[in-house]
Amino acid sequence: MNAAISAEEDLADVDRVLAGDAQAFEGIVRRWQGPLINMAWRYCRDRARAEDLAQDAFLRAWRGLAGWRRESSFSTWLFALAANVFRSELKRFPTVNLPLDEIAEPSSLAAQLSTLSKKLSNEEVRRSVLALPLRYREPVILFYFHEMDLSRAAATLRLPEGTLKARLSRARALLRRRFPHIEAQHAEMELAALNTGKEA
Amino acid sequence: MNRTKTNREETDHSRIETILSTEEALIPSSGFLASVMESVHEEARLPQPIPFPWKRAVPGILLASGVFAWAAVELARHALPAVSRISLTPPHLYAALERPLEQAGWVALALAASLLSWLLSRRLAGRSGLL
Repeated sequence: MNAAISAEEDLADVDRVLAGDAQAFEGIVRRWQGPLINMAWRYCRDRARAEDLAQDAFLRAWRGLAGWRRESSFSTWLFALAANVFRSELKRFPTVNLPLDEIAEPSSLAAQLSTLSKKLSNEEVRRSVLALPLRYREPVILFYFHEMDLSRAAATLRLPEGTLKARLSRARALLRRRFPHIEAQHAEMELAALNTGKEA
Repeated sequence: MNRTKTNREETDHSRIETILSTEEALIPSSGFLASVMESVHEEARLPQPIPFPWKRAVPGILLASGVFAWAAVELARHALPAVSRISLTPPHLYAALERPLEQAGWVALALAASLLSWLLSRRLAGRSGLL
């Protein structure tokens, strides 16, 4: 669909808002509330706060709508603005104070046999992103938020793609160093689950 | 050995990559849209920002410019005889220029203070959305 239709709808709604119809902003919020909340969630991993941050971003977009120069797509402008809002809000009130080295690697194999435990261990890896230094954290957040689309992530951060690539690579190295055994553990875990299934 | 290490790093990388890219999407809470729109309508109801009153400010600006121009003329009037009395002897030079320099210093200070207050007011107005 969707990108083209959404872009047209965005444009129409923006024009209506700028002409004085505040209600037209609802269409924009309806279309972008999901992406913005999910983006904010990746910045803070706190659902209530993610909604607050997304609301702030929408209000900033409302105030600054006339400042969108239409050089880039509306979504690029909105994501860049939201990233600024999230970054500055989280600088004022940080969510995670734990250094990366103090985050525990997902624990014992036996404990990880259930799906729930697997989910928890994955969540630990995702949370560890928040402990990365900001210059590496944001590229990781936005790269995966944009479904590994390097150019969109770079546009949101207003960084050259090469710089983003380098920062992603450094971030991955930091995460690998923090979770050296994760692949082996998962392989063992899957094997154990398979064996349990056979026995049953 | 190195190759094994590299392969291992690649698989770790891919595992971490998989974890990071498979995130369950959050569904916005039912009241989110309404809450955002309520805030938007609240903001829309607020009166428009007051534009800078150029019409009222222009006479003041003209008056201030006149004062500065007068000061500049006075400065030049005082400075010119002093300049004509200038010789290459340093003490004489200093005595002749002492008063004009002092006045020029005051004028420069006043100009700097005005500039600073203008910049500050622009910054404050910009933050409050007036500009």
